[in-house]
Amino acid sequence: MNIFFLLITILFSGALLTFLVNKVAPKISGIVTFATIALVSFLFFTQVNIGDTFQFTLGEIPMQFGITPYTFIFAIIVLGLGTLASLYSIGYMKDQERLGYFYSNFLLSVTGMIGIVFSQDFITFFIFWEIMTWSSYLIVIYNGYNSRKIGMKYMIFSAIGAYAMLTAIVSIKANYGTFNIAEAIQNGAFNFSENIYIPVLLLVGFAVKAALMPLHVWAPNAYSKSPMSFTSIFSGAMSKMGILGIGLVLASAYSYTNHDNANYVTALRYALGWLGGITAVMATIYALIQTHAKKLLAYSSVAQLGYIIVGLSTGTELGVMAALFLAVVHGIFKGALFMVVGAVERQVGTTDMTKISGLIRKMPFTFFVALVSIIALAGVPPLGGFVGKWMLYEALITESNNYFLVIVIFFSSTAAFLYSYRFLFGLFLGQEEKETEHVKEAPITMVIPMMILAILLIVTGAFPGVLFEPIAHGMHYLGFSDVNWSMSVLVNIWGEESNMTYINLSIGVVFVVVFAFLTIKGYKGTKNVGTKDISTSGEIPTENENLTFQLDFFKPFERAAAPLYKRSMDKIWNDLGNAFEALTDFTRKIYTGNGQTYAVYVVIFLVILLLMKDTLFAN
Amino acid sequence: MVISPIHYIFVPLVAAFAIPLLSKINKELPRIIPGIVMFYNIIISFVLMQEVNEVGYISEVIAGWEAPWGINLVITPFSGFLVSLISVLGFLIWLYGFRFKKVIDAGELRSYNILQMMMITGAIGIIITGDIFNMFVFLEIVAITAISLTSFYRGRDGAEAGFKYLLIGGFASALILLAILILYTQVGTLNMAEIAERMHTVPQGIKATILLLFIVGFGIEAELFPLNGWAPDAYSQAPGPTSSAFAGIVVKAGVYGLIRIIFTLFDVDGAYDFLITAGLITMIIAEASALRQTNLKRMLAYSSIGQMGLALIAFGIGTKEAVFGAMFLLFNHAVIKSLLFMTGSILIYNSKDKTINSLSGIAKKLPFISILFAIGAFAIVGLPPFSGFWSKLYVLTAAADENMILLIAAILAVSVVEIVYYFRVVGKLYFPDKESNIEVYRPKFNAMIAMGVLGVVILVIGFYPDLITGYLHNAADILLDKASYIRFVLNADLPIQ
Repeated sequence: MNIFFLLITILFSGALLTFLVNKVAPKISGIVTFATIALVSFLFFTQVNIGDTFQFTLGEIPMQFGITPYTFIFAIIVLGLGTLASLYSIGYMKDQERLGYFYSNFLLSVTGMIGIVFSQDFITFFIFWEIMTWSSYLIVIYNGYNSRKIGMKYMIFSAIGAYAMLTAIVSIKANYGTFNIAEAIQNGAFNFSENIYIPVLLLVGFAVKAALMPLHVWAPNAYSKSPMSFTSIFSGAMSKMGILGIGLVLASAYSYTNHDNANYVTALRYALGWLGGITAVMATIYALIQTHAKKLLAYSSVAQLGYIIVGLSTGTELGVMAALFLAVVHGIFKGALFMVVGAVERQVGTTDMTKISGLIRKMPFTFFVALVSIIALAGVPPLGGFVGKWMLYEALITESNNYFLVIVIFFSSTAAFLYSYRFLFGLFLGQEEKETEHVKEAPITMVIPMMILAILLIVTGAFPGVLFEPIAHGMHYLGFSDVNWSMSVLVNIWGEESNMTYINLSIGVVFVVVFAFLTIKGYKGTKNVGTKDISTSGEIPTENENLTFQLDFFKPFERAAAPLYKRSMDKIWNDLGNAFEALTDFTRKIYTGNGQTYAVYVVIFLVILLLMKDTLFAN
Repeated sequence: MVISPIHYIFVPLVAAFAIPLLSKINKELPRIIPGIVMFYNIIISFVLMQEVNEVGYISEVIAGWEAPWGINLVITPFSGFLVSLISVLGFLIWLYGFRFKKVIDAGELRSYNILQMMMITGAIGIIITGDIFNMFVFLEIVAITAISLTSFYRGRDGAEAGFKYLLIGGFASALILLAILILYTQVGTLNMAEIAERMHTVPQGIKATILLLFIVGFGIEAELFPLNGWAPDAYSQAPGPTSSAFAGIVVKAGVYGLIRIIFTLFDVDGAYDFLITAGLITMIIAEASALRQTNLKRMLAYSSIGQMGLALIAFGIGTKEAVFGAMFLLFNHAVIKSLLFMTGSILIYNSKDKTINSLSGIAKKLPFISILFAIGAFAIVGLPPFSGFWSKLYVLTAAADENMILLIAAILAVSVVEIVYYFRVVGKLYFPDKESNIEVYRPKFNAMIAMGVLGVVILVIGFYPDLITGYLHNAADILLDKASYIRFVLNADLPIQ
C-alpha cells in the first residue's frame, strides 16, 4: 500500500478506534490517539521523501497526494505539534466526559491537516479542509451550552471561507481544465490578469482560517473555549493551514507578475499587508485588557498571525522567509503557551489572572516553559521570535518601502510586551495566594511535551538555520528563484551562520550577568509581602476599594484606548447576522399556514406564467 | 428473459386487494405482506436496472397493443435508477415503520399499510409509464394516498394539513388533465414518444400554454415555489415513515414528471432557464424559511423543498455533467432526507412539543439515533467525506463549466444557511442547556436496521462514490438523447445502445 494512503488510513482508523475503545476502557483512548499520531509521524519522517507522489481516482476525479518542499514545512508543524499535543492531552483530559468524542475529533482534525499538507489537487485539499473544519467545530462546542454560539460563529465563518474557496476551485476547473494545484498555477490561475476573482476568493477562504481581519471574529472565543490541549494545535497548527494557502497563492501571483497585472498584485499586496497590520494592532490592544489568560493568548494568536500575513504580503524573499519562519516558531511557542495555560487551568481550576498569582514555586517547570515561550513571543533575543521579527522589519524597511506598516508593526510588537508581561506576572509571579496553596506541578505527561517545545524554541533561536534550510527549499519550490540571496549577516546561514550564535551568546551572557547582578544586589533588601500588605497612610480602606494590583492591571492604558474598544468588528458581524435572520423571518411569513392563500398563490403563479409565456418560451 | 416491469404495478395491486381478506386469517398479515411486496420490487428493480444499463431501453407493451395505440411501460436508465431507489427506500421505510408505535396505537394498521404501499406503487408507475394519461392516473393514486396518509392521525392538525394538500393537489390534477386534453387535441396521441415526435407541429403559443400547465401541475408535486404551501404541513403532520416516503419517494416522482415532460416531450427554448430561475427562487425562499423554524419536522420539510430547488437548478443547467449531478443529488436527497425524517420522527416522538428546543441533550438517551441524525445533517449540507458532498461538487462543477458564477455563489450562500440550522440542531442534541430527565421511547430493532442501512449508504457513497457514478453517467446521457427514446419506443424491437 502506498505510504500516503497508509498514513491517511491509519489516521482515519485511529479516529474510529479511539471512539470505540472509549466505550470499553475510557482511559485508553488518549493513549490510542497519541500512539496513532506518533506512529504516523514516525512513518512520515522515515518513509516519505520530498517529491513522492501518489494518485488514485475517486468519484471520477484524480486524487493526488504528494509532498513538496513547501508543504513539508507545514508537515513538520502539524505532526510535531500534533504528537506533543496528543501526549499532553492524556494528562489534561483525564477524568473528563465524552473522551471518545473528543479524541476521535482530535484525530480527525489532525487527519484533515495532514491531508491538506499532502494534497496536490484542490479537491483533495477541499475535502480535508472541510474534515478539519467540522471536526474542530465539534471540539469547540465540546465545553457545552455556552460554547454552542461560539462554535456556530466559527462554523459560519469557516463555511463562508470554505465555500468561497469551493467557488474558486470549480472556476479553476472550468477555466483552466485542471484540479491539480501545480498545473493550475502553471496555467496561470493566480496570475491576476484574468479571472481575478479566483485568487481573491481563495484568499478569503484561507484568511478565515488564518484569522485575518475582518474575518477573525470567531477566533478569540473559539481558541479560548476549546479544551486547551486542542487549542494548542488549533492555534498552533490549524491556523497555519490558512498561511499555507495564502503563501501559495501570493507566491504564485508574484512569480507571474508582468506588466498587465502588476497593478493588481501591488494592490493586493498593500491590501493584505494593511489588513495584517491592522489585525496585529487591534488584536494586541484587545489582548491587553483580557483578564483571562486563555483569552489573552487567543487574541495574541490573532495578532501574531497578522505579522505572518504582513511578511507574506511583502513579496520579497526576506519577507516571505520571515513569515514562514515566524509561522513555524509561532506554532511552537503558541502551542507551548496554550499548554501552559491548560496546565494552570487543570491544576488551579481557573485562568483568571486577577485570582491567581505566584505559581512560580508551585509549578516551576510550567513557569520555565512560559518564560521561554513569552520571550520568543515578545521577540526578545536570543529566541526564535527575535530572528523572525528582525527579518520582518528588515524586509519591510529595506525592501518594500512601506514605512507606515513598519510603524504599525512596531507599535503592536511593543504593545505585545505589555500583555506578555501581564501573562507572566499575573499567573506566575507576585505573592502566593492562600487559594493556591494546594497547587502542585502538572503531571509528567503534560510537562514533557511542554519542555520539549521549550527546548525546541531555544534550539531554533540559537540555530535558526535548522528551520531556514527546509524553508529555503520550500521557497525555492514556490518560485523564489534566487534563494541564496544576500541578506543581513545576522541570520545568513550560508557561510556566515556563526554570527547569529555570537549575537545570541553575547546577549545571553549579558542577560545572565544582569540578572545575577540584580538578584545579588537586591537580595538583601527584599522582604516577602502579601498581596494585601500595603500601606494606606493611616486611612482605613473601604470595603469595596481595590487593594490588589492584579485588578485593573493596565487601567490607564485601557482608558486611553477606550474609543477603540467601543466599535468592534464582532458587533458589526452580529448586527449583520441579526439583520439577515430578520430578513429570513420575513420570507417565512410567505407561508401563512392558510390553505386558501396557498391556492391563491397557485392561481396567481399560473396566471403570471401564462401572461409571460411568450417571453419565457421563445421557439 | 428479464422480469416484466408490469410486475411493479400488478403485484402491489393484487396484494392491496388481498390484504383486507387475508387480515381475517391472521392479524399480522396486513403488516407483513407489504414488506414482501416491497422486497419483490427490489428484486425486479435490480434485475431491470442491470438489464437496462446494458441495452439502453426496455419497453413492455401491455395487452399486446403496440406503442401508439396501447399503453406501454418504458424503462430507461434514468427511470430504472429512480425506481430502484424508490423500491429500496420503500422497503426500508416499511421496515422502519413495521413496529412504529404511533401507527400501531392508531389502530388503523390495515389501511395504513395499504395506503403506504399504493403510494409507492403510484410513484413507480409515474416513472415507468410511457403514456401521458397513464402518468396522470398514477399521479392521482399518489395524491389520494398521500392525502389520506397526511391526515392519518385523527385530529385537527392532521385534518388541516390533509385539507390543504387536497386543495392544492386538486389544482395539480385539474391543470395536468387540462394540459393533457389540449395536448391530445393538438397531436392526437397520448403516447409520450409519439407526442415528442409530433410536437414540432404544434403552434408555439399553444405549446407554451401546455407546457406551463404541466409545469404548474407537476410543480405542485415537485414542491416548486410558490406552489409548495401544502408541503411543510403535510410533512410535519404525517406519520414518521410517511414523511420519509414523501421526501424520498413522492417528490422524486413529481420531479421525474417535470423532467420527463420538459426534456422529452417539449423542445422549447427557455424551459431550461425557467427551471434554473424557479429552482433558485424555490431554494432560497425555502432555506430562508427553514432558518427560523422551531419545529424539527417543519425545518426538515423546508430543507427538503430547498434541496429539490437545487435539483431543478441542476437539471436546468442541462449539460450532461449537470444532469448527472442532479441525479446524484436526487439519490442523496432520497437517502439522506429519509434518514433525517426517520431519526427526526423518533426524536420528536420523545420530545414534549415537537420543537427543537425540547430535544436538548437527548443524545445521551438516544446515542444511536442522534449520531445517525448528525451524519444525515452533515451529509445533507454537503460536508465531505459524506455522500452529499459529491453531488454538490458535481453540480457546482457543471455550473462553473457554463460560467454561472453567481449561481454558484447563490447555491453556496444557501448552503451556509443550511449549515447554520442543521448544526444548531446537532449542537442542541449533544450539548444540553440543562440536564433533563425524560423517559425515552427507544426504537425497536427493525427501525434501527432501516436507519443503520441508510447511514452506512451515506458513508460508503461518501468514501467511494464510484459505486454509482458510472451508472448515473449512462442515465444522464440517455435522458438527454431524446431521439433515441422516440425511435426505440415506436419500433420497440430494436434495442438501442
